[in-house]
Amino acid sequence: MNEPRKQPVAPAAFSPEDMARRRRRNVALALVLAGLVVFFFVVTLVKTGPAIMNRPL
Amino acid sequence: MSAVFDKLDPRTDGTALTSTGEARDFFTLLKPRVMSLVIVTALAGMATAPGTVHPVIGFAALLAIAVGAGASGCLNMWYDADIDALMVRTAKRPIPAGRILPSEALAFGLTLSIGAVLVLGLVANLLAAGMLAFTIFFYAVVYSMWLKRWTPQNIVIGGAAGAFPPMIGEAVVTGGFGIRSLVLFAIIFLWTPPHFWALALVKSADYARAGIPMLPNVAGPASTRRHILAYSLVMAPVAVLPALMGFGGLIYLVVSVVTGLAMIALAVRVLRTTEGDAAHKAAYSLFGFSILYLFLLFAVLLAENSLGLMWALPKVIG
Repeated sequence: MNEPRKQPVAPAAFSPEDMARRRRRNVALALVLAGLVVFFFVVTLVKTGPAIMNRPL
Repeated sequence: MSAVFDKLDPRTDGTALTSTGEARDFFTLLKPRVMSLVIVTALAGMATAPGTVHPVIGFAALLAIAVGAGASGCLNMWYDADIDALMVRTAKRPIPAGRILPSEALAFGLTLSIGAVLVLGLVANLLAAGMLAFTIFFYAVVYSMWLKRWTPQNIVIGGAAGAFPPMIGEAVVTGGFGIRSLVLFAIIFLWTPPHFWALALVKSADYARAGIPMLPNVAGPASTRRHILAYSLVMAPVAVLPALMGFGGLIYLVVSVVTGLAMIALAVRVLRTTEGDAAHKAAYSLFGFSILYLFLLFAVLLAENSLGLMWALPKVIG
């Protein structure tokens, strides 16, 4: 006999403190992502050199 | 294997699907103190390698190695959350303390692992990336999932994971690795057992509660003390090798000899002091000094090879 299917559990309600913590976490994530953009840009320039600007379109 | 699948259930309290952990909790998952040692040792591997690397590429590679090491620490904390909760030393870590969900830590660790290996492959070379991938696998799977709960030799074999960063550093610079980074590997490999066994002597009740077969719990404190001294006696001369092989200078020779003798003296004190608070204090002194010892060795190597502080010595070996 099949077991009854589990129902999705509603997320617990977040308090204002929880929301503030999540906001800070999201800001940190945004800063990391922005840092990665700069990181990949600089590394690409160094790996490829000035020739990266000298390609036929 | 079922233990692995049990840990995949994200709902620790039956309701939460995401945690409210902060950025610093995720940073804690990366074991920042271990990461700092990895950075110093990998950088020393790069600095002592026979060759040069563009500073930006070197920095990018170092970042990837550090993040990869952090990711393996995160996967370790994910897998060990059950035993971490039983130990006083680790009960406040983000997962057992309930600030981060196991599924979040797993996703975080896997994402960073894959990202770090890919970035290292792109900015450096495939060998360095492959070695970083192997290091993460060795620490997260071979050590954490297999050795740690199975054998008192767990940290002897598992110590290899912490010893790989100098070899990865040399691979970044040269595309291969030679005798220099193998010597640096040997220093960290031989340093790991006395370092962790000194801690295990102090925290043996913690490890017993968690059922971890550390050497003091399996072979007894007396045998552990003899093992600590034996490894220290082998490690200290090996740590002098960089000076004898021409990639450590006069400062390194002095520092490695003096601090190596201090390590042996502390290990002898651990062997002789077996009762009460004095025994705990002796073991804890060795544990604390061992961190300073490894940091000093690699920091001096780094300074000599990259800051022009090398007073070269005649090459005796190699």
